[in-house]
This record gives sequence, C-alpha cells and structure tokens, in this order.
Amino acid sequence: MTTQDQTPPENPVAPDGSLLATSEDQWSRVHVISPLVRGWIALVAIAFFAGQDLFEGLLSGDGMPNFSDSGARLPWAIAILAGIVVLVAVGFLLSWYFTRYQVTEQHVRVNSGVLFRQNRQARLDRVQAIDVVQPFLARVFGLAELKFEVADAGESAVKLAFLKLSDAQRLRATILARAAGVSIDPDHPDDIQEAPEREVLALKPGRVIAAALLSGTTLVLIIGVAVILIFSVTLDEAAPLAVIIPLGLGVAGGYWGSIKNGFNFRAAISPDGIRVRYGLLDTRTQTVPPGRIQAVGISQSPLWRIKGWYRMTVNVAGYGVSASGDAQARATLLPVGTQAEALQILALVLPDPGTGEPFEVFSAGMAGRDSRAGFVSTPRRARWIGPLEWRRNGFAVTDTALLIRSGYFWRNLAVVPHERTQSLALHQGPVYRRFRVADLLLHTTPGPVSPRIQQVDEETAWQLFNEQGVRAAEARRRSLPEQWMKPVEGAEEALMPQVPSYDASAPVKDLTEPAEAGPAPAGEDESAHNGQR
Amino acid sequence: MRKEPIDPAGLDWTRVSPKYLTVRLLGWAVGTIINVAIFSIPLVLRLTDVWSGFPPMWVVWALPIGTLILSIWRGILLPRQVRAIGYAERNEDLLIRTGVFYQRTMVVPYGRMQYVDVAVGPIERAFGLCTLKMHTASPGTNASIPGLPADEGARLREQLSARGEAKLAGL
Repeated sequence: MTTQDQTPPENPVAPDGSLLATSEDQWSRVHVISPLVRGWIALVAIAFFAGQDLFEGLLSGDGMPNFSDSGARLPWAIAILAGIVVLVAVGFLLSWYFTRYQVTEQHVRVNSGVLFRQNRQARLDRVQAIDVVQPFLARVFGLAELKFEVADAGESAVKLAFLKLSDAQRLRATILARAAGVSIDPDHPDDIQEAPEREVLALKPGRVIAAALLSGTTLVLIIGVAVILIFSVTLDEAAPLAVIIPLGLGVAGGYWGSIKNGFNFRAAISPDGIRVRYGLLDTRTQTVPPGRIQAVGISQSPLWRIKGWYRMTVNVAGYGVSASGDAQARATLLPVGTQAEALQILALVLPDPGTGEPFEVFSAGMAGRDSRAGFVSTPRRARWIGPLEWRRNGFAVTDTALLIRSGYFWRNLAVVPHERTQSLALHQGPVYRRFRVADLLLHTTPGPVSPRIQQVDEETAWQLFNEQGVRAAEARRRSLPEQWMKPVEGAEEALMPQVPSYDASAPVKDLTEPAEAGPAPAGEDESAHNGQR
Repeated sequence: MRKEPIDPAGLDWTRVSPKYLTVRLLGWAVGTIINVAIFSIPLVLRLTDVWSGFPPMWVVWALPIGTLILSIWRGILLPRQVRAIGYAERNEDLLIRTGVFYQRTMVVPYGRMQYVDVAVGPIERAFGLCTLKMHTASPGTNASIPGLPADEGARLREQLSARGEAKLAGL
C-alpha cells in the first residue's frame, strides 16, 4: 500500500464499532432537530401567515394594536398560534422519537411511523449506492442525510435524516466496510479506516458556468428569441414579445440548475468505489461501489463542440428514473469535461477497456464517424432512414464492453460493460426490413442511458445479438464478487487501486496536483468544514 | 410458418398453443363490437334527428365503417400474429420472438431473471392457457409469452426458476 499520493487522513473517518448494534435491541435515533430541518417550510409558512395577520392588524390600528377594540381577539389569536406551534412541535418530537435505526453485521434496519409503523430492513451487501446529502439548512446545522440505495429503482431503501455529518460519514464507512466484506477484528473494531480515496478530477466554477452558457438551454433561448422576433416583426405587433418573460424564466431556471449541480464538482476513486461531490447550496456526496454502474453515457450538445466538452451520465440500479433535476444530477458522473477528463472518468468505471488502443476507440465513439477504430456503422443502402446520422450510428465491441454511438447534432456514446447486460432485443419494422437493417436494444436498469444500436445491417445485428449473449454470460462468470473486498489475499493491492487510465501519458498527475498543492486536503475533512462553518 | 429475416438459423421455435388464437379472436370480437358501437353513436343521434344538420352525413357514416374496416384488418392479421409468437430455450438464455410487421426478437439470460410470473385470465383459464412473464432488473425487458398451455407454463416456470438459480449473477 503506497502512501505518498493518498489524501492524508488528518481526520480519519473510521468505521465505528460502536455504531454497530451488538444486540437485537440496540437502536439509535437520528438527530433531535432533524424534523425541524425537514419541516422548516411548514414553520416558515405558519410564521408568515401569522406575522402577516399581526402586521396588517398593526397597520390598520394606526401602528398599535387596538386593545380596546380587539382586546378580546388578540389573546385568542396568540393562543391559537401557540397551540399550532405546540401541536407541530409535538408531532415533530413524536416522529423523531419513533424513528430508530440499527446497523447490524448484515442489515440496516429502520423503524418509523407513529400510528402506522414501518419496519424496514435492507441487506448491506445489496447496496447499490450511498449518498450523504446536505440540504442548505442542514449544512447550517452541520447535519447530513444518509441515503442507502438498493436495486428497486424507486425511492431510497433507507433514508436517515438527519445525522451529524461526522456520524453520517462514519456510518457510511461502516456500511461500506460491511458491504465490502472487510472482516473486522472483534477486539479492535476501530482498526479499519474508511477506504482512502484519491482525487481524480475537480471542476473549476468558471468551466461550469461556461458549460451552462453553452448548453442546449442557450440554443432554446436563441431559437425562442428568433421565433418571437420574427412573429412580432411580421405581425407588426408587440404582443408576442410578452412570451419572452416565461421563456427567460425557464432559461434562467435551466442555467441555475446546471450551475447549481455542477458547482464544486469533484470526483475521487477509492476501493469502495467512485465518489463524487457537488453542489452549491445543497451538497451531495455520492459513493457508487465497484461494479454497480450498469451503463455509461457520454454526450455532447452542439455548442459544446466548440470547446470539446462532454457530459457523462450513468445508470445505477438504485437511482431510478425521474425527470426531476435532482435525479438528473444524481445520475451525472461528470457535468462537463474535456475528452481527456471524460476518458479518465470512464477509466474509473471500466478499468479494463478490453482493447489495445482505448484512446482511439473511445474517441472514435465520442466524436468520430464511419468505420474508424473498429466501429460498424449503418450500411450505405440505409442512409435514407437517417440521412444525417447514418455515418454516426454504429457500435464497437471490446473485450469488456459494448460501445454504441449515435446522434448527429447531439452526439451520444453509450458504454455497457458486458457483464451488466440484462437482456437484448432485435427490432425490425417494415421499412427497416426493406433496407435489411435492424435495431439492437440493450436493456439496462432505469436511468438516463438507454443503449440502442440503430440501423445496423441485419446479418451483423443477428451475429452481434448471438455473440453478445455469449460474451455477457462469459463476463458474468468472471465478474467481481458482490462483496468487492472479500478475497482477502488480494486485499493489499485492492486497498488503494492505482487511478486507472487508458493512456500511460494521460495527465493523471496534473489533475491531482492542484488538489494536493491546496491547503485543504480533499476529502471528508473539507466537506466537514463546509458543514460546520 | 414463413421464415422471417431476423429469425436465427438453426433454432427450433416452440410456437404457442393454437387455442390462443381463439382467445385472441374472442377478445378481438368483443373489442370490435364495443368500438363500432361507440363510433356509431353520432350516426344514431344523426339518424334520430337529435343532432340535425351537423356533422355531415358522410362523416357519421365513415366513423363506424372505418372502425369496422380497421378492426377487420386487425382480425385478419391475428392468426399470423399468433403464429409469429415463439420461444426457444437455450443453454444460457431464453429467446422470444413476436410480431409480423414490427418484429422483435429478445434474449433473456437465465442468470438475469429476477422473478417469473404466471398469470391466468378468465378466458385463458377456460381454454387451459396461461401467460408467462419474465422480469429482469430492467423495465425494458418486456418478456412475456402468452398462450402457453397451463402445464407447459408450469413446467417452464419451474425450469426457468431452477436455471435462474443455477446461473444467478446478481445485477
């Protein structure tokens, strides 16, 4: 285990033996003010309306509440208000009192509910991802929410809101250590530390803002404004100009969303998987253990071509599919990055590219067309189905993954590791049959990436369909165990993997240097600072 | 059965029970009657002079007749559609094919199966049939085999579960 390029563990977050329940009835509770942090909007609303009433009363009573007139009413109003506050507080306290959690050797259990009790139990080795989320108000109080995802594609299996940030991090370390199958010495439960992590990439705010300004939102703005101007000029009326207001609001919202979620983005690798952090007001730390990423998408919107930027999204079984900005941010592995950075991150997901010249293959997938670097594209005879994109459509197979390329204006590349293939389907409609082409769909868990090889020659499609089944079966047999640290003999090397890279000369070192030069070591400590100051 | 271009070579497809065609035809007949009845409402209203003058006569006639023609066309296709449904068990996976115009061939690896459903509706039960549905971690896997004889469905379910267990591979 090398030490020189690790994040110095100044404030080591160790899996805490005391967090593990030793007996059946040792339970913990979340932080006592957490219902307040969760329900603060309700309180603010009550305060707002009550305050508004009082304020109006003050105004109409010429600056002073008129006690002679409404002397009977004012105490009532105060009593009602106090009653509501007490009721809400009691409700909060009850819900806090009845929410308890427990982490055992194999399970995490949560009991909640006052009248309708809910007992939930999730297996630790089924973890798909763990998030530590800090909404803005929770950050003020130094609290954090822990989300534990299993593969049900819906809501989080276990949500602990809110814990002290350090507790949340310790709990995450404990859960990951358990899930990884690290055996904890019963005499010295504090000996293992959270797997060390190494920062791979950090985005500067300038890049995130520029990326937002060059995103598809800007295209919408340009097209929208052009349409409105054309209408108002040809109709010789100013009425269409009013549409600019909602358009502007929508565009501003789009910019805000992408800046907020890309801000302060950092990616790191650790034996427990890939860890990304981001957020402007709310901060989120996501950990995806090895082998939990089902598919990777690399996309480029038209204006990003100027700068050669790419965005990476992933399908993770626990994240589910939802159109909300939050869910989209969760499924983003890299909000904006150059080709080299995207390849760097891709190398974390797919350490073994399965080809001798990964750089050529993946860059052909990201920006190339025709049959460069082993890609197979749509046959020429079918060019009329997609006159623009037929040279972009295509796929390439490496020993470990299937690469699917598509899109002319919006370029897309989907990478599906063979062992993650769920099922495959060939689709062929009448038109496709006429041109002897077919679509090949790879089914994957719900998420932003939906891999579909478009308009490929039907013979090739069938061959790929057959071979892919065999390759997937083969890859599954070789794939990692569910408990990724279980093989003890390999534990020494596994403890701190080298940052995988496709190119020996790739600037791995350069990327990590700024982080090491900076005064604050990247890692848990920094987010702890964020949380407490 | 005509050889379809995206059918693989050297595979023996098991076709579903011919009785399934009767089930589909029954469903089709009921659906057709309901559809035609609904689209005849304007015609009835127009003929009984509840609506007068509007809409034009040819429109109210065209609605039910058009519906009827479409339904008959779908009815004519039904036998071919039912014949086009097939499945094949292989060592590692199960293949399913459907469709006449829009053909789909799907492969579901046994190790990827999360659970298997067998569903029987009232009409299917009357004919001794069942529908088998396989679920993987992907909602895109819409793998169902309708119109299986009940005992074949039970056999397949047991077979798939056993094979799934033997080859289980998590996610």
